[in-house]
Amino acid sequence: MNYLPILAAEGGILDSLSESAQRTGETFGFNAWLFFSQIISFCIVAFLLHKFAYKPVLNILEVRRQKIAEGLLNAEKIKQQLAESEVRYQEILTKANTEAQKMIDEAKSSAQALADKRAQAAIGEAEAIIAKAREATIAERQRELAELKKEVTRLVIDTTSKVTGKVLNQDDQRRLSEEAAREVAA
Amino acid sequence: MSNPVFRLRLPIASVRWLRLFVLFAAVWIIGGLVSSVSFAQHPEITAADPNAHAAPHAEAHHGLSPDAPVLYHGIGGHPATDSEPAKIGPFAATNSMLVTWIVAIVVIAFAQYATRRIKEIPDGAQNFWEWLVESLHDFLESIIGHDLVKKTFWFFATIFIFILFTNWAGLIPGVGTIGWGIPNAQGGLEHISRPLFRGVNADLNMTLAMAVVFFVCWVYWALQANGPGGFILHIFGPKGDTTGALKVLMIGVFVLVGVLEVVSIMFRPVSLSFRLYGNVFAGENMLESMAQIVPGLSWLIPVPFYFMELLVGLVQALVFMLLTAVFTLLITQHDEKAHH
Repeated sequence: MNYLPILAAEGGILDSLSESAQRTGETFGFNAWLFFSQIISFCIVAFLLHKFAYKPVLNILEVRRQKIAEGLLNAEKIKQQLAESEVRYQEILTKANTEAQKMIDEAKSSAQALADKRAQAAIGEAEAIIAKAREATIAERQRELAELKKEVTRLVIDTTSKVTGKVLNQDDQRRLSEEAAREVAA
Repeated sequence: MSNPVFRLRLPIASVRWLRLFVLFAAVWIIGGLVSSVSFAQHPEITAADPNAHAAPHAEAHHGLSPDAPVLYHGIGGHPATDSEPAKIGPFAATNSMLVTWIVAIVVIAFAQYATRRIKEIPDGAQNFWEWLVESLHDFLESIIGHDLVKKTFWFFATIFIFILFTNWAGLIPGVGTIGWGIPNAQGGLEHISRPLFRGVNADLNMTLAMAVVFFVCWVYWALQANGPGGFILHIFGPKGDTTGALKVLMIGVFVLVGVLEVVSIMFRPVSLSFRLYGNVFAGENMLESMAQIVPGLSWLIPVPFYFMELLVGLVQALVFMLLTAVFTLLITQHDEKAHH
């Protein structure tokens, strides 16, 4: 069965719908020219509102959004840089500590070495002084002993010649001095 | 010991609102009293009407005419004369168009004022306007997504802000009550037959114009998102994963569903325009009826209904915007399964 003639024919469903729509439109004040005017009017209003009412605010919001995004990005960068700086600072601090400790150790060891060296030198010097003093003492003693021997010999010879009344010759004098020297040495 | 003194310190914003409310209430009451006095001074006007005896109820309540009176009849058009009925030509203008332009100018002027000196930390008008636009943008973005809102924000924002402010502008005293009428025998004017201003959305031509503009944009966005083939497939194509004979059956079913979808799509401008027009037109008529129900209390009885109309104005703006946004989302979103 073909329904198209019923739809399209004069007085058919389409005609009836069209007539009904026209009647409804007229009832509610529809007018083609006014409708056309309203379309143009609305399009112009929409364009003007977009250009002068929303666009400035949307631009502001976009700029602000970009600034916030940049700010957040910068904050993130700064945070990252801070963390890196912290790590670097810790590294430097650790390195400095190590180096300082090393220097202290070296200083300690070199000071110890120097102190030891100085002590050794002082001990050497002291020993040398003592040895020298000892040598001087011995030499003095030898000299005094020699003088004593000489004096004692002279006294023995003088005493002997006075006691015996004899002039002592060279041999007597030598013998007496040797005896005296032996006695003194003993 | 000092006596305790009760002090109430309202925030500056609350004080401003309070002042505005007091001013509004004062204007309302004075306006109401004046209109009551006006009614009392011309009790004979209704009685003097020749048709009053035939249809007293009809004359007592005139109501808003369904069609918006024409202020300019356009190119080649003319008002009704004794010999010829009125003729409307291209670029004709009605009183609702006048309010359209006044509202648009006020909104644009406010937006320009608010953004004349942009501050990093917004305050006052800039703060309010930024709040309105940004909230609307974020709200739409949460519904239709980032990409679509970038493309369509201008339209949906216009729809919401324009409908909202025109609906509220229709509630301002003077809209519908200042204009021309035919004086009666005593020279009194009891009914304004050609008001200078009319609620914008109480004009079917306006609501239909918005719906048709949306329809054109909708087709454009749909073609842009899907391409011509994709657009047709989106409407008539079978959904779901079927194979074999079931797939053939589903193709047939979805072609029929597509036909129904096309009918539904074609009726969208009608439903959108009549919903808005019906609500606003009914609201204005209701306010007028409430104002006339007890002449002496015409300044008081409509007050609750004014608050209701404020709400209706907001809800209708939201409904129109949401429906158009959802229609756009439905046609532009792609089937996720098709891409995998």
